[in-house]
Amino acid sequence: MNGKKLVIALAGNANVGKSVIFNYLTKLHQHIGNWPGKTVEKAEGTLHFKGYTVDVVDLPGIYSLSTYSTEESISRRFIAVEKPDVVINVIDASVLERNLFFTLQLMELETPIVIALNQVDVASKKGIQIDFEKLEKILGVPVVPTIAVKGVGIFKLLEKAVEIFEGKLEAKPRQVKYGEEVEERIEKLAEAVRDSGLPYPARYVAIKLLEGDREIQEEVEKSKPQAVALARSLGEELERLHGHSCPTLITSERYQAANYIAREVQKLVPPVKPTLGEKLHNVTTHRVAGYLIMAASLLSLFFFVFAVGNVFSDILTSLLYGFKPFFERVLGAGFFEELVWEGVVEGLIAGASVALPYIIPFYLALYFLEDSGYLSRIAFLMDSIMHKMGLHGKAFIPLILGYGCNVPACLGCRIMETQRERLIAAFVTTLVPCAARTVIILGLVGRFVGIQWALMLYAFDLLVVFLLGRIAFRILPGEPTGLIMEMPDYRLPHLKTVLSQTWFRLLEFMKIAFPLIIVSTFTVKLLEATGILRVFTSLLTPVTVAWLGLPAETGITLLFGVLRKELALIMLATLLGAADLSKALTPVQMTVFTIVSMFYIPCVATIATLVMEFGWRKALVITLSEIVLALILGGLSFRILILAGLT
Amino acid sequence: MSSTADTGVSEVPLAMLRDGETGIVVSVKSGYGKAWGLKKRLMDMGITPGTRITVVKSAPFHGPMEILVRGYRLAIGRGMAERIFVRMEETRAGCAEK
Ligand SMILES: Nc1nc2c(ncn2[C@@H]2O[C@H](COP(=O)(O)OP(=O)(O)OP(=O)(O)O)[C@@H](O)[C@H]2O)c(=O)[nH]1
Ligand SMILES: [Mg+2]
Repeated sequence: MNGKKLVIALAGNANVGKSVIFNYLTKLHQHIGNWPGKTVEKAEGTLHFKGYTVDVVDLPGIYSLSTYSTEESISRRFIAVEKPDVVINVIDASVLERNLFFTLQLMELETPIVIALNQVDVASKKGIQIDFEKLEKILGVPVVPTIAVKGVGIFKLLEKAVEIFEGKLEAKPRQVKYGEEVEERIEKLAEAVRDSGLPYPARYVAIKLLEGDREIQEEVEKSKPQAVALARSLGEELERLHGHSCPTLITSERYQAANYIAREVQKLVPPVKPTLGEKLHNVTTHRVAGYLIMAASLLSLFFFVFAVGNVFSDILTSLLYGFKPFFERVLGAGFFEELVWEGVVEGLIAGASVALPYIIPFYLALYFLEDSGYLSRIAFLMDSIMHKMGLHGKAFIPLILGYGCNVPACLGCRIMETQRERLIAAFVTTLVPCAARTVIILGLVGRFVGIQWALMLYAFDLLVVFLLGRIAFRILPGEPTGLIMEMPDYRLPHLKTVLSQTWFRLLEFMKIAFPLIIVSTFTVKLLEATGILRVFTSLLTPVTVAWLGLPAETGITLLFGVLRKELALIMLATLLGAADLSKALTPVQMTVFTIVSMFYIPCVATIATLVMEFGWRKALVITLSEIVLALILGGLSFRILILAGLT
Repeated sequence: MSSTADTGVSEVPLAMLRDGETGIVVSVKSGYGKAWGLKKRLMDMGITPGTRITVVKSAPFHGPMEILVRGYRLAIGRGMAERIFVRMEETRAGCAEK
C-alpha cells in the first residue's frame, strides 16, 4: 500500500442513517435501529478506496455542537478537536430544517464537509422533494442524495470526500449571516479571541461564547479571560436590544437561516390521507389503547419466543441425544470416554438445544421491534412511570434492550442526561432478564412448569425493577430531567437489517458462549470425578439446600452462571444428567432456581461494563446488593410457594 | 420587539394547550442549575421564539406531550412543556374557562 491515509467522520442528527452508511462502507456491524441514540461510542473501520486507506468513524448523533450529554461530547470532541480530514454530514431529507441547523454549525467550524442527503425515499413518500443542486449552491458544499439502506449514492459520497481532500473540489462553505447587531458583536469578539491559541476558527469561538457554551468559556478563560468578560458584556447589550437572552438570539437566528434554506430548496406536497404509519402512531400512543397494545405486543413477543423455542428445543434435544449410542460405539465406555461425552459433548448439546432455540427467535423479535420505531412510542407511554424512579421515558429503551443483553443496554444508558440518571438506569437494567436468563425462564419454568408461571416471573421482575428503582431514587435523590425525544416515523422493518443483526448477535453468542460452555462443563466433570465437587457443593448447602431448598448441585452451577447466565441451566442439565429436567427438579425448585438466577448477580461482562461506566466501587455495591436481593427473594419465594401448597 | 404588544392574556405555558391546538413560542424559561443545558437543548431541537408548535396529544398521568415542531414529532416531558410559553394562534370563542 502506498500509505495515503484519509480520516472521514460520519456526523449528524440522531437516527438519520449514519451507522447504516458506516456498515455499508466498512462491512462492520454497528447497531442499527429506528430510534434516536443507538450509537453511544465512536466506532472505527477501514476500507481501501482509490489508493487511500480510509478510516471511517461512526459518531453518536447530535443536534448541535453545544452539547450536554456524554455521547454528544464524544462527537463534538472528535469533530472539533481531533479534526477528521473530511466530515460526511448525514442529514435526514424528511426533516431538513432541523438537520440543517447542525450543518450550519459545522460550517461555522469550517470543517471540510460533504453532505449525504439521506432517506430521500422516505422524504418523497412524505411528499417532500428536495432540489439538491440548489442546496449545494446555497451552502457551497457538495450534496449527494442517498438511500443508505439500499446503498444508493454511498460511493459517490466517498468520491466527493476524496476530491475535497485532494483539493480538486473546492468547497466554499457559506457562513450564516446573523442579524446586523449580532454580526457586529461577533466580529468584535472574534477580533478579541483571534490569538487565543485555540484550535478553532475565531468566528466559531466568538459565536460559541455568545451562545454561552461552557466548555469553550473554560478554554478561553485560560488564555484570554478578558474575552470572556467582553462576551458577557456584548451579550448583555444584545439582550437589552432584543429582549431575549443572547444564546436564545443566536440559536433562533441560526434556525431562521436553516428555515430559509429549507424553504428555498424543498417542495412540499403532503399526502392527503394520513399514512398507515401515522394511523399506527395514533393508536400506539393512545392514552388507553396505547397501553393495551403495549402489553399485548410484549406478551405476544414472549409467546412467540416460547412457542418457537419449545419446538426447536424438543427437536434438537432428541436429535442430538440420538448421537449418544453412536458416540458410545465409537469411543467405547470408560472413564475417559465418559469425561469426553459428559464434559464436552453434552455441554455442547445442552448449549445448542437449550439456548439457541430461544435466543434466535428472541433476537429476531427484538430487532424487528427496534427497527419498526415502536421503542420510542413505548418510551413516550412509560415516561410518567419512569419518573417515579427518578428517570424519564427514554430510560425505558435501555431497559427493553436489556432483555436482549445487559451489556449494550448499560452502555445505552448514556442517552440519559445526568450521571445520577445513568447510574439508576443501569442499575435497574441489570435486573432485567437478558436473553440468557430468558433461556432459563422459558426453558425451565416455561417448559416444565407452565407458561403462565414464566409470565408471572417476568411480571414479578418488572415489579422488582420498579421497587428497586424507587429505592435507588431514594438513595440518589434529585430532580429528574425532563424528556426530550424525537419520535421517528414508523417504518416497515428492513428485513435484511433485522436478519443480519440477528445473525451477528448469534455468531457473537456462539463464539463466546460455546468455548465457555465446554470449559465449564469439562471442569465441573473433572471436579466431580475427583470428588472435589462434592466437598465444594456441600460447603454451599446451607445456602442452596437449607435456605433455598434446591439440590446441592445448583451451588456450583450458579457459581459458573456468573460467567454467563444460561450456563447455570446448561450445567445443571449436564450435572443432573437429564435431558428431562422435570425428573430431577420439582416445580417449586425450578421456580426458585429461576428467581435466583434472574437476580443473583450481573454476569461478568455486565460487571465489567459497570466498572467501566461507573467505577469499581459502584459496580461492587450493585453486585453485592443483587446477591443479597436474590438470596432474600429466593428463600422467601421457596417458603411462600411451599406454604401455598405447591410442591 | 414583539413582546411589548402582547397583552399577556394569551401567553400561556405550552402544557395548557389542548390536543390539536397550536401556539407560537414566545419564550423558554429556564429554571435553576443545569437548566442552561435543558433550555439550550430545547432550542437546539428547534423550539425557539417565533416557532409554531402544535400539540398532538398528551399522555395520561401527567405524562409527556407529543408536539409537532419544524416538521417533526417531538416528545417532551410535562415539566418542560410548563417552561415553554406560547401565544395562542387562533383565539377560540368562549375560551374563558380556566
Ligand atoms: N427507508 C430508509 N431508511 C433508512 C435510510 N437510512 C437509514 N434508514 C433507517 O433509519 C434508521 C436509523 O439508521 P441508523 O444508521 O441506525 O441511524 P444513526 O444515524 O446511526 O442513528 P444514531 O446512532 O441513533 O444516532 C434505521 O432504521 C435504518 O434502517 C434510507 O435511506 N432509507
Ligand atoms: Mg448510529
